[in-house]
Amino acid sequence: MSEGNPPDPLARLGEEIEKARAERVRRPVVRDRAVLQQGLGLGFRIGIELVVAVVVATGIGWAIDRWLGTRPWGMIVLFFLGVAAGMLNVYRAVTGVSRAVGYRPPDAGATTGEKRSDDEDC
Amino acid sequence: MALEIRPLEQFKIDRLIPIHIGGVDVSYTNAAFLMTIAVLLITALLVFGTRKRALVPGRWQSIAEMSYEFVADMVETNVGHGGQEFFPFVFTLFMFILFANFLGLVPYSYTVTSQIIVTFALAAVVFIGVTIIGIVRHGFHFLRLFVPQGVPAALLLLLVPIELLSYCIRPFTLAIRLFANMLAGHTMLAIFGGFAASLGLLGIFPMGIDILIVALEVLVAALQAYVFAILTCLYLSDAINLH
Repeated sequence: MSEGNPPDPLARLGEEIEKARAERVRRPVVRDRAVLQQGLGLGFRIGIELVVAVVVATGIGWAIDRWLGTRPWGMIVLFFLGVAAGMLNVYRAVTGVSRAVGYRPPDAGATTGEKRSDDEDC
Repeated sequence: MALEIRPLEQFKIDRLIPIHIGGVDVSYTNAAFLMTIAVLLITALLVFGTRKRALVPGRWQSIAEMSYEFVADMVETNVGHGGQEFFPFVFTLFMFILFANFLGLVPYSYTVTSQIIVTFALAAVVFIGVTIIGIVRHGFHFLRLFVPQGVPAALLLLLVPIELLSYCIRPFTLAIRLFANMLAGHTMLAIFGGFAASLGLLGIFPMGIDILIVALEVLVAALQAYVFAILTCLYLSDAINLH
């Protein structure tokens, strides 16, 4: 191509193409930002999951104790159940295996394949 | 000069128009006022923004279309084809929380979503709605949600309560997440604002931090609305795509 010849329409077209290409290269950054946004969303989501699970479960246990008069036991059992539920929620949120309670993707392919085969064995 | 710093004063509810009906306080408060503004702004944006119906959208139409497509996309990818009928609900939730969060960032305004009763009411609507949808769609079969597949019967005794519990804490996590984020951010803003006011010339440092926190809060405001909407989508998908 003839360089340094702005009046030449071909060269100008070449320049314009170059500019458009440069912009297209910059594009993926935007897509990265979308990924970052999703990651941030996930991070903010799970941060509170464990804490709330434990607190709410212990609260329910306390209420059961008050109601049935089974002083420490409801709280103790529900506390551990809460820890388990919280961990389960966090694990599911992070791995995306069943995305929430008991969820299984419609095409039980890659992620839950193991579970499915277990089921058939039983 | 001792300046009193009261970072929590911003969350006080004032009765703008006291109304009492049968001993029940239903006053029109500053929180209700901000909610009204949020709803009016959303309506204005969507009605006036799309009025021209230009093929090449202007600024306002672009904003309206982008928010529409954003949520429609979210519903499509997370709930699937059966989810489009719930789009209006998710869109309303998303826009309301987004506008409430952003309006809370305007100085001297009020952050509606920093009240746990507001966020809990929203979360409870989602929780109860999703449960009802699940029961209507699947009937008794819906309870299978709590029974993990491929587990020995003895373990079910332990796993079913855990599953049940992790289902029941959903409205709490949903509500507390939004509430805690807004409360913490705005309290932090006020505390550093108080430092800036009482430190005199040195106050420029806490002021700088405040500016950064405002930037963070803008991010959090949008992100929390997004998180709330996407979790609603995931819960809906649980209830609809049950196996």
